[in-house]
Amino acid sequence: MSSSSVTEPTTTGEPAQTGPTGAQRRYGLGAVALAIVVGMLLGVAAGALIARPGTPGDDSPEAGFARDMSTHHQQAVAMGLIAFQQGSDADVRSIGVDIAASQQGEYGMMQGWLRSWELDPTGEQPRMAWMPDGESMVDGGLMPGMASTEEMERLRTAQGKELDILFLEMMIKHHIGGIHMVDALLDQSDHELVTEAAQRMKNTQQKDLTNLRTALERLQG
Amino acid sequence: MSISTPGGNQRRPDVVSSGKKSGAGKPAGGNQSPASARKSTANRTSSGSAGKKGRKPITPVKVSQGTNWGPIALFAVVGLVAVSIVGYTAFLAFNGSKPWEERAAAIDGISNFRESDPELVAGGNHVTGSVNYTVVPPVAGEHNAAWQNCTGNVYDAPIANEHAVHSLEHGAIWITYRPDLAPEQVAKLQERVVGTEKMMMSPFDGLDSPISLQAWGYQLKLDNADDSRIDDFIRALRVNASIEGPNALCEQGVTATGTTPRNLAGM
Repeated sequence: MSSSSVTEPTTTGEPAQTGPTGAQRRYGLGAVALAIVVGMLLGVAAGALIARPGTPGDDSPEAGFARDMSTHHQQAVAMGLIAFQQGSDADVRSIGVDIAASQQGEYGMMQGWLRSWELDPTGEQPRMAWMPDGESMVDGGLMPGMASTEEMERLRTAQGKELDILFLEMMIKHHIGGIHMVDALLDQSDHELVTEAAQRMKNTQQKDLTNLRTALERLQG
Repeated sequence: MSISTPGGNQRRPDVVSSGKKSGAGKPAGGNQSPASARKSTANRTSSGSAGKKGRKPITPVKVSQGTNWGPIALFAVVGLVAVSIVGYTAFLAFNGSKPWEERAAAIDGISNFRESDPELVAGGNHVTGSVNYTVVPPVAGEHNAAWQNCTGNVYDAPIANEHAVHSLEHGAIWITYRPDLAPEQVAKLQERVVGTEKMMMSPFDGLDSPISLQAWGYQLKLDNADDSRIDDFIRALRVNASIEGPNALCEQGVTATGTTPRNLAGM
């Protein structure tokens, strides 16, 4: 600025004293507003580059999905392990350990994403905030399809065929809720690593649902 | 204000004079050099003030042949806004990526036993029976082979330290509160626990503060469930404080209350 003001006096006359409003008159508030908007766009664009391109942020759908699906998965692991341990039906025990092992693996994968994105397992946002209307789906702190502490306790203390059927019913509900959350992620994200994994989760859970329903029909029939 | 005011002053006569000059310059033909020289000064000054914004500086030259202060001021504004947003984003990115240890250390009033007692925090052998913990509620050390379930479990009665410490080792945050804490305060704590894995809470007899938060190697004592440090503590330390990693289970453990540790065989 200082160097330009040195060259200026040669072309500038003295009389312009009413200046303060000059810029406003000629360019108007619209131009100033436009300048600010352009500046903000430039700033956001450059800022996005600084904040590591391609890496989901703390409030991104990808991070929200990884965190909330981690909690969701841990309950499936819990249910699956109970079925594996206490189920009376061989099919139920087998489905139980399959779900527990695969969801624990996916849990580790999602926690690994967060770590590689340099994000905490706990987000700044409330749970389900990444989903449109997600927070309204939280019922008593529980995400779609999740069982309450009381329901989990009922499963833990059930025995024999009663436990088998309870597990199948609870896991069917759990998977339907889980697939709902997967769909919400797929709607919002084009992050390849995450969407591919989410699609695989959906495939697995849909296959599980078929097997769970078949086993339920057999045990109830 | 101090920048825009002189710009406004000087621009008015400038536009007038540049109109005359370009009109006089064109027919002469040979009078190109002063115009182009001015062009280049305009270029330089505007690019300097707009702060390296690639194609922006060219625009004012098209509008007017003279040193036109209006656009320069405008682009200075553009540059200033852009630079401040970039700076703010950079600050956020830097701040957000600070290691969790630093963010934990920045929580006012936190006790960091990783620093003060590294031996205690190094790990814990499995033992049967009761353990005498030097820090109460305990934050690390020897513990029972069975952990207390910690997938968002809210216990309405005290639990065994020996199981709870094992849960801390698995990455859980254990919220404890004095049994006489007001129900609406308890409810606020509960909201942070229910439905989130690696979280659990229980009342704790003889607590020397209304609320105490525990993670493996860390403790924070508080008076009020509205304290924002609760969320800071959970955010920085849930799972992160675990010495075993996120895959440690918070299920298949003890779900019963009572302060006497149980043996796995008897469950």
